[in-house]
Amino acid sequence: MDKMNVSKHISGKFNDELESVRNKVLSMGGLVEKQLRDALIAIETSDQELAEHVLRSDHKINAMEVQIDEACVQIIAKRQPAASDLRLVIAILKTIADLERIGDEGERIAKVALESFNNDQQEFLVSLENLGQQVLSMLHRVLDAFARMDLDAAYEVHQQDAQADRQYEALTRQLMTYMMEDPRGIPKVMNVLWSARSLERIGDRCQNIAEYIIFFVKGKDVRHVSPESMEQTVRGRTS
Amino acid sequence: MISVTPTSSTAEALDLENLTSEQTAMEIRDLNLHYGDVQALFDVSMKIPKNRVTAFIGPSGCGKSTLLRCINRMNDLVEICRTSGEIILHDKNIYDKDVDAAALRRKVGMVFQRPNPFPKSIYENVVYGMRLQGVNDRRVLDEVVERSLKGAALWEEVKDRLGDTAFSLSGGQQQRLVIARAIAVEPEVLLLDEPTSALDPISTLTIEELITELKSKYTVVIVTHNMQQAARVSDQTAFMYMGKLIEYADTNTLFTTPEKKQTEDYITGRYG
Repeated sequence: MDKMNVSKHISGKFNDELESVRNKVLSMGGLVEKQLRDALIAIETSDQELAEHVLRSDHKINAMEVQIDEACVQIIAKRQPAASDLRLVIAILKTIADLERIGDEGERIAKVALESFNNDQQEFLVSLENLGQQVLSMLHRVLDAFARMDLDAAYEVHQQDAQADRQYEALTRQLMTYMMEDPRGIPKVMNVLWSARSLERIGDRCQNIAEYIIFFVKGKDVRHVSPESMEQTVRGRTS
Repeated sequence: MISVTPTSSTAEALDLENLTSEQTAMEIRDLNLHYGDVQALFDVSMKIPKNRVTAFIGPSGCGKSTLLRCINRMNDLVEICRTSGEIILHDKNIYDKDVDAAALRRKVGMVFQRPNPFPKSIYENVVYGMRLQGVNDRRVLDEVVERSLKGAALWEEVKDRLGDTAFSLSGGQQQRLVIARAIAVEPEVLLLDEPTSALDPISTLTIEELITELKSKYTVVIVTHNMQQAARVSDQTAFMYMGKLIEYADTNTLFTTPEKKQTEDYITGRYG
């Protein structure tokens, strides 16, 4: 269902502009998701070439952010969007900023694949991979929710972050223990730790995007509110 | 140049359903209006808060200007027009038989779409209402002229040529002169019926700035076709459609998260 309702304006050109900017966000999301997936595959399969490819491709995401930003500025200047149109443009502007940062984190994660790890250290990579899959699923789902402006799906992703946080904490503990046992491995373990941190940050950014979806659908800013208050907003009457 | 005092563009949201009598300038209760057999307003009820700007928006023919004209009984002049319901000003229904319409219009002034200065000097335009009331003392009138023209942000531009004909002024200046004429008799409420639709964008901004300043002294009600103008100048906005008051809320809410779909469709320019 077209919850964004972009196709019903009296001005057909405005419909086109909104539709085009929305499609660009979806492509940007697809690209960011691909970057993260490739980075994780590169780690899993020690594929340095793929990792290099991820590093080389980040500029495309940056360029898309700039392009979408520009399109939104034009819409605000020419159309003075109101109500749901305004919320859509604002949600898009915020979402693409988070997507761009997710792209940067993906780049950082890919760098781990350029390192070589001994057998002992491989187990961290498995834990990292698990966290990665969890976060990748969050990203996939939140982009899906964005495409459909699906309130319930956005809320589920928001809830899912707690699980990613727990995995991140467990991995951190595991890495700290290892560092205490074998200080020589610290430089490499630090890289894994930073990647884990990047993944955890991506989870947070997916949470942000979920909040923008809720903002678009409900017109309420749910950032920094209690879980109860957020649930109330999501479960409340649709405006 | 007009002086621009920084004021917050919109005041804090009020609970429009439950305004206290101190907060209320006027209250409209179950107002219905017919032009002959055609009903133009249907059960409109709302409270207009004091010292704030209230905007009426809606498509052509939705009844917003009709409603505005009811507030100072301009519709009395239309023969086929019948109203029922009440509009309360100071605990008194303005449609009561014993209310003098001329006295009411002194308390509730009106400014129209096209600037309509009288073919007189700037000075005489401003003091016209005072003269009608029998005030002819030059000192009093001089004071009124200065106060009113300052209040309408026009004084600096015309103080050296008060004797010139009002038609020597630009459209934007004429509209401010008309506002000065309206506030010269110290009304409580100022009704503005599309006050900037005949003006260029710069004069429009000057009038908008003026409206924001006027509300410290007067209660302002504005009808506008320009939604962005309503969004910029008003504290609360009423959206009307086919003679009905669809949604009445504080402006920030109405333009970002309207409750009713009809409001949403109208302000975002969608098919209804």
